[in-house]
Amino acid sequence: MSRRPLHSDPSDDPLFNRVLSTLDIAIFERNGRSGEFRLQGLAPEWWCARGGSEPSTVLDLEQWSPFLREYVAADHSAWAAESGTIEKSGPWTETDDQGGTITLEATVLSMESRTILLIERLGAGFEQMRSIVQRARDRVLAEDVAVKSHHKTETRLTNQLEVSERTKDDALALLQHLGLAALVLDERGRITFASDRALTLLGISTGEVIGRQWEEIIPFHQQDRAIFHEMVNAPADRRTAGPFSIDSAQPSWIELDIHRDPQHQRRQIVVVHDRTELHALRRVLNEQASFHDLVGKSPAMLRVYQLVRDVASVDTTVLIEGETGTGKELIARAIHSASGRREKPFIAANCAGLTDSILTSQLFGHRRGAFTGAVNDQQGLFEAAEGGTLFLDEIGDVPQPVQTALLRVLQEKEITRLGEARPRKVDVRVLAATHHNLSEDVVRGSFRADLLYRIRIARVQLPPLRERREDIPLLAHSFLMAICAANGKTIDRLSPETLHRLMSYVWPGNVRELRSAIEFAVISCKGTEVSPADLPPEIVGMPAVPTLAPWIPLQDRDEKSRLLAALSEAKGNRTEAAKRLGVSRATFYRRLVELDIHPR
Amino acid sequence: MIQKKICMLGGFAVGKTSLVRRFVTNVFSDHYQTTIGVTVEKKTVTIKDQDVMLMLWDLYGEDEFQHVRDSYLRGSSAYILVMDGTRRGTLDTALALQQTAARTLGTVPFVSIINKADLQSDWEIDEGAIEQLRARGWTVLFGSAKLGQGVEELFLSVVTQIMHGAPLPTEHV
Repeated sequence: MSRRPLHSDPSDDPLFNRVLSTLDIAIFERNGRSGEFRLQGLAPEWWCARGGSEPSTVLDLEQWSPFLREYVAADHSAWAAESGTIEKSGPWTETDDQGGTITLEATVLSMESRTILLIERLGAGFEQMRSIVQRARDRVLAEDVAVKSHHKTETRLTNQLEVSERTKDDALALLQHLGLAALVLDERGRITFASDRALTLLGISTGEVIGRQWEEIIPFHQQDRAIFHEMVNAPADRRTAGPFSIDSAQPSWIELDIHRDPQHQRRQIVVVHDRTELHALRRVLNEQASFHDLVGKSPAMLRVYQLVRDVASVDTTVLIEGETGTGKELIARAIHSASGRREKPFIAANCAGLTDSILTSQLFGHRRGAFTGAVNDQQGLFEAAEGGTLFLDEIGDVPQPVQTALLRVLQEKEITRLGEARPRKVDVRVLAATHHNLSEDVVRGSFRADLLYRIRIARVQLPPLRERREDIPLLAHSFLMAICAANGKTIDRLSPETLHRLMSYVWPGNVRELRSAIEFAVISCKGTEVSPADLPPEIVGMPAVPTLAPWIPLQDRDEKSRLLAALSEAKGNRTEAAKRLGVSRATFYRRLVELDIHPR
Repeated sequence: MIQKKICMLGGFAVGKTSLVRRFVTNVFSDHYQTTIGVTVEKKTVTIKDQDVMLMLWDLYGEDEFQHVRDSYLRGSSAYILVMDGTRRGTLDTALALQQTAARTLGTVPFVSIINKADLQSDWEIDEGAIEQLRARGWTVLFGSAKLGQGVEELFLSVVTQIMHGAPLPTEHV
C-alpha cells in the first residue's frame, strides 16, 4: 500500500506513518476556530480512492454517510475530557461511486486539548467476526427450520397415527359386530390379536391372551396341537385344519382357516369357525344311522332305537322278539350299554338245545358232587352276571323245569345252586330273546304263561331285513368296509346292479345272512367294485322281487290294510300273500294274529 | 428538502435489509447476509406534493451477539419494527425493541410489519398474537420483501404518520 505526504506535520515521523498504514486509519484533528477536521499524516488508500485524483485533506461530512455526520455532531464526552477517553462509533457501511462498500468505524478522543477523530477501515478481523456471526445465525435459522420440520413430521405422523387408530378401531368394531372369530399370530407364534368371538369360541378370557404363545392359550387336545402346529408352519398361503374339539366350560368344535397376512408374510391370520352345531347334527345323523352296534336308519329301526333307550332307563325284564339273524343279541347289548348296569358284566347264554340239567347247572351253578363230573363248586351265569345283565337267547327253547326255576329267580331275586339247599341273593337284570311266538307256545302248553308275563314286561320287536329294505345299502356298505378292513382288501363300493340284487333278495337269514353274503362277495371280488357275479349264487339266481311292492312296515292300521289287500290279491292263499309281501309265511301268520285278522 | 431519519428494528434475519433494498432499489436476494453495524440508505418520496428524503437506518439485527445502541436511535422521526411471520420469537424481540425505542425516542410514530407473507402457511404468529399487538395500539402490516408486497405501503404509512400523524389502514398484504 502506497502513501504520499499531504501535510507537513510532526507526524511526518516515518514510524508514525508506518503504524497508520498498517492499521488503515485516517487521522483528523479538529481546527478549534473553523471546526474543520484536517487530515494528519499519510492518508490511507481508501481515503484517496474516495477523494478521486486530488483528495482533500479536509473532511467534508456532506460526502459521507449521515451516520458519520451524526456521530461527529454528537456531544461526545471524550472531547470534553482532558485525555485518555475514547468513544467508538461502531461499524457502519459507506458506499462509493462504483457501488462498492467499505465498513468503517470512527473513534473520537482528546489529547493535550487537541480533538482527534480516527476513521478506521475494518478489515480482515472484522470480516472474520462477521463470518462467525453469520455462521452462528445461519445455524440458528437452520436449527429452527429443522425443529419446525420435525414438528411438522411429528404432527403429520400423529395425525396419521390417529387416522390409523381410528381405522383400526372401526375395523375392530366391524369385526366384533360381525362376530368374526379371528386370531393373529406373529412370526414366533405369539397371539397379537384376538377377536371377542374367537376368545368365546376358544373359552379364553381376554386378559391372558395377547403376547402369549398359542400353545399356552388354545385348549387343544395333544394330537390336535400337533396337527395345528404342522398347519401353521406349512408353506401354503391358505390352509384349513380341523375339526378340533375344544375343552372349555362350554365344549365346542372348531375348524380353522389359516392365512398368511398379506401385509406381513411371516404373520398368520387364523379364522376360527364354530362347527359345534354342525358336529352335533352330524352326531345325531350318525346316531340315526347306527345305534351302538346296530346299523340302520329306517323308521322301523328308529322306533327300535327309541324303544331301547326307553327300556334301558328302567330295570325291568325285556323280551326281544325277532327272526333269526335280526340282531337280537345286539339289542340286548345295546340295552345293557345304555342302562345303569353298563359297568357290570353282560353275559349271554343260548338256551337252545340244552338238557334241563345242563342248563340248570349253567344258569344257577352247582355244588361239588351234585352230579357226576361236578368235581368243583361252580357258580352259575346268574352269579357271574351279578350287578349286570344276563341275556337268555332262545328262551322259548328252555325246558319246563328250568322255566320254573327261572320264574323263581325273577320273582324272588335268588338262585339255588344245584346240590345246595341254601338260596343265594342275586341282582341281575334278565333280557330274553326268542324267535318263537311265545303266546302260541303258551297256548300249546310248551311255555309257562306266568313266566311269559314275567319276562314280557317290556318288549322289543326287531323287524326282519325284508321289512326294512332301505337299510340294506347302509348295512351292506358298513359290512363291506368292516370286512375289507379285516381282510386287508381295498374294495370301494358295490355296483348299482349288485345293490339292486341285494335290495331285491328276501333275506330269510336277515342281517346275519347279508353280512355273510358281503363277506362272500369280498372274497370273490377281484377289483375295487363288487359286481353281482361276486355275490352268493342263491342271491344272484333268485328272481328279483318286484321292486314296486317292497313291504315297508307302516302303522298298524295301514299294515292291516296291506295284509288284507295281499290276501285278497292271492285269493285267500296265505303262502302266496306272504310271498307277495316279501315276508315269510311264519311272519305273515304272526302278523295276522297280532293284528287280529281272521281270513276266511 | 425535508429529511427524516427512520430506523429499521427487529430480530436478525427478519428481512429489514431486504425491505429497505426492495423499497430503495427494488431488488431482492434470497441469500441471507447478516448486517453488522449500520447501513444508511436514502430515498426521496413525495407526500402531498412535498418531497421528503427518507434516511433509512438499517440497523443490525437484535440477538445475543448484538444489541441495538440507543445512540443509533436518536434523532429518528419514526421507526419500523420488522417481524418474521415464520418465527414466533421475532415478535418477542420486536416487543422488547419497541420498549427500547420508546424509552429513547419518546412518542414517535412507528409501524410494524410481519414479513415473509409468501410463507404464510408456515407462520407461527397467529391471529390471536396479532390481535394482541393491535390491542397495544400497534399498526400491524403484512408484507413480503421477496414478492414486493406491502413494502411501499409500509414506508408510505410511516412517512404519512411522520408528516400528518394519520395512520393508513392497518392491513396490507
